[in-house]
Amino acid sequence: MESEKIGVFRVVLWVIGILVSVFLVAPIIIVMITSLNEMPYMEFPPHRLSLRWYRNFFTSPHWFEPALLSVRVAFATAVSAAFLGTLAAIGIGRGQFRFRRALEMFFVSPLVVPVVVLALGLYLLFSSLHVLGTPLALYLGHTVIATPLVIVIVLAAVRTADPEMELAARSLGAGYMSALWHVTIPIIRPAILSGTAFAFLISFDEVIIAIFLGGPDATTLPKRMWETIRFEIDPTLTAISSLLTCVAVLILVGAEGVRRTFQGRSAR
Amino acid sequence: MNRRDILKAAGVVSGAAAMGPFFHVGPARADQGELVVVSWGGDYDQALRDLVFPAFEKETGYRVKLDAPPETAKIRAMVQSGNIAWDVVLTDIPAVLTLMKDDLLEPIDYGVLDQAKLGRIPKELQRSHALGQRIYSFNILYNSKMIPKDKHPRNWADVWDGKAFPGGRTFNFQGGIEPQLETALLADGVPIDKLYPLDVERAWKMYDRLRPLVTKWYTSHAEAIQLLTAGEASIGCTIGPRGITAKHNGAPIEVEYNQGKLASDNWCLVKGVRNKKVALEFINHAIDGKAQAGIAQRVPYGPSNVAAFDFLSPQEAADLNTSPENIKEQYWQNVEWWSSVEPNGKTQREIQAQRFATWMLKG
Amino acid sequence: MVMAGQRRPMGPGQAGFWRSRQGLLVLPPLIFYLLVYIYPLSRLWAWSFFDQHFTLEFYRELFDEPAYFKALTNTLEISFLAAALSLMLGYPMAYLMATTSPRARNVLMAFVLIPFWTSILVRTFAWIVILGKNGLVNHLLGRLGLIDEPAKLLFNMTSVQIGMVHVLLPFMVFPLYGVMSRIDPSLVRVARSLGASPRRAFLRVFLPLSLPGIGAGCVITFLLAVGFYVTPALLGGQGEITLVMLIDMMVNTLLNWGLAATLGIVLLVVVGIIFAVFSSLLGVERVTGK
Repeated sequence: MESEKIGVFRVVLWVIGILVSVFLVAPIIIVMITSLNEMPYMEFPPHRLSLRWYRNFFTSPHWFEPALLSVRVAFATAVSAAFLGTLAAIGIGRGQFRFRRALEMFFVSPLVVPVVVLALGLYLLFSSLHVLGTPLALYLGHTVIATPLVIVIVLAAVRTADPEMELAARSLGAGYMSALWHVTIPIIRPAILSGTAFAFLISFDEVIIAIFLGGPDATTLPKRMWETIRFEIDPTLTAISSLLTCVAVLILVGAEGVRRTFQGRSAR
Repeated sequence: MNRRDILKAAGVVSGAAAMGPFFHVGPARADQGELVVVSWGGDYDQALRDLVFPAFEKETGYRVKLDAPPETAKIRAMVQSGNIAWDVVLTDIPAVLTLMKDDLLEPIDYGVLDQAKLGRIPKELQRSHALGQRIYSFNILYNSKMIPKDKHPRNWADVWDGKAFPGGRTFNFQGGIEPQLETALLADGVPIDKLYPLDVERAWKMYDRLRPLVTKWYTSHAEAIQLLTAGEASIGCTIGPRGITAKHNGAPIEVEYNQGKLASDNWCLVKGVRNKKVALEFINHAIDGKAQAGIAQRVPYGPSNVAAFDFLSPQEAADLNTSPENIKEQYWQNVEWWSSVEPNGKTQREIQAQRFATWMLKG
Repeated sequence: MVMAGQRRPMGPGQAGFWRSRQGLLVLPPLIFYLLVYIYPLSRLWAWSFFDQHFTLEFYRELFDEPAYFKALTNTLEISFLAAALSLMLGYPMAYLMATTSPRARNVLMAFVLIPFWTSILVRTFAWIVILGKNGLVNHLLGRLGLIDEPAKLLFNMTSVQIGMVHVLLPFMVFPLYGVMSRIDPSLVRVARSLGASPRRAFLRVFLPLSLPGIGAGCVITFLLAVGFYVTPALLGGQGEITLVMLIDMMVNTLLNWGLAATLGIVLLVVVGIIFAVFSSLLGVERVTGK
């Protein structure tokens, strides 16, 4: 009886899982098909196929340079946000001091602030420091909005990880940094990695700060896409999106391949 | 070397690579042989890049850098902080008026500009702080697959008639554009030459009647074209030249110019512009008739310099909203009315835009 | 996990010292926040109170106009619904990922990650294509003879929620999965072997242990939803005007920065309250306490 029940439960679970997967991927596939459209507006299904929008992306610095800048800014943001966010999460999750709750709220609060408002405040600050319109301004702005996400994710992991493990390591003579590095960090590593990925994507996909703090020398891909979608709908957008998705798939497949190789070697 | 070491090394290397650029790239400075021009992006900017910049750069030795879009909020922040990254801005009159009210623009020194060119630009387009470059217009656009060309809406009263002309409507909301009060009054039968001063209450009553017909209030003109192309709306009120472009690109869109509202995008100088002389020289190049004709061939906005029509074929001219044939069916937006200040210290534009927002929320 | 707590090699005093030292880790992020977050924000805070002189004019204007309040309730309603729907879809997905074979997990993970890498702007446009009058869904329904003329699927609350949940779902699944994957499966097995039904084992053992993930996921998705602009603007109709859209209009169209800052601060306060309630209800501290 009971195992049959589990069977029904698993089937329902898988049905939901498959439906959610279809829901998640369907628009992406539509975008990919649309990107092969020859017409200069978005159309589905396309009547005639061509690769002209892909050609347009690669041959035009108008698109390619912002793409490179976006990757750079997002990478720097991800690294910094992961660093700052992990420190904050461990400090709050493990430290014992007053106002920890309040500090946690404070650290997460940039998520609540409408990005428009934050962007305006940063604009005034950065223009007086003459870093406006530079990648540095974008990087700082993005780090402010990305760090809270890392904190939320890592903190959830810190809280479920057993603090006694670190104490045990300390009692066995491990130093302060050593216990942190060899015990705490490995436990929460999946959370840090997913937090870093979040931070990267937050920055990579961010529009408002890019618009306010960017400039002629600091135009990210989303800023360029936003300008385009606002003023002319250029199907190059669909080509770019399809490419980004393909890169993601390649990375995922590649990561899986690497993992398997390592697993095979350590004979687990 | 184990896996962790490899990852560590990779992390350090890529981190350094990512951080590197931040400490070398300086901000763009217009006072280092560079002029920053801000426009709206897209095909029009490409046309400027190809047809206006080369001659200007050759003559002055300055390099032009384009940025987009010319948001008024950004200009305001620049002037207030004294860190002006933009020199010349192409924007519409509502934005110009808002900027002028807050003293964020530099007056245009007409004495420095080419008088022969100015002579061919209508006087209405030569304002103290803004000189017309291209003419846009709010027109009736419709999907020709849903509405046959011989039975299309010919005036705004038709657009308001949901029975005779089926399908949803799309009108603007947000995106820096005020409500189409003139359009609403025309739909209610107000003669085109007796629009101003606008009977605001009557116009808003017409908006109440429009509300159930609208399937989507668009936030950008590109969105409006997309909605019409996809048949999500059958009739829309948006920029006519954009409809012409879409039509040339194969979209099932037609434009009716009758009762259209004409307005201009204008060159302005940001307050405290660093090299005013060079900026004016750029404007001088942009208002050249031949250059404007070349631009209009690619992007069918009406050229501000009437001399441009000398370089256009009759067919090319016929598509433009300022062709002699089309312009007489339309009217110029009365900017003075929109900028008139009410006792509470706000302009009509501010009052109506705010009312638009609250009207929408109450619906 | 529980065993380790029974033998404590260090005295409680030492443990306290160790824990207080870890608290110092918050200093670098704290300094960063003060410089790049609080300082610029304090300027904006000042804007809501100053128009040359100190004034409460902006706040008065805000409370005099019921339409602004409507934008606030719209925003909260949309965000709450989006977070709830994301949880309903995300929980089974994360549970599946946490309890299935590694290979199937990777496939599911890929399905969650892929949309993540596609621009929000473009995904939103894709939904317009799918749900439109001549779109895929209407096409299929018409083919199946379920409808005579195209249904209006776009520009209402349904399309806004579809678009938003699509964007938010990964932000729900990842924290959930992060927590669930660390739940020791033997705990559920032990509960089962002690006679608990699968449902009971799930409700009494698994669900409580996954609460931090639910809390994190809900907080992230709700707060992200509040800040959304593109999706409600493009997929919503007249009834889905949010506070962020209103702020954007104040900033960019009306140049009423004082009112924009005031709207932002009101939003901040309201969301802050909801956030506090949310996180205490969903037990941010609850699991670690025991």
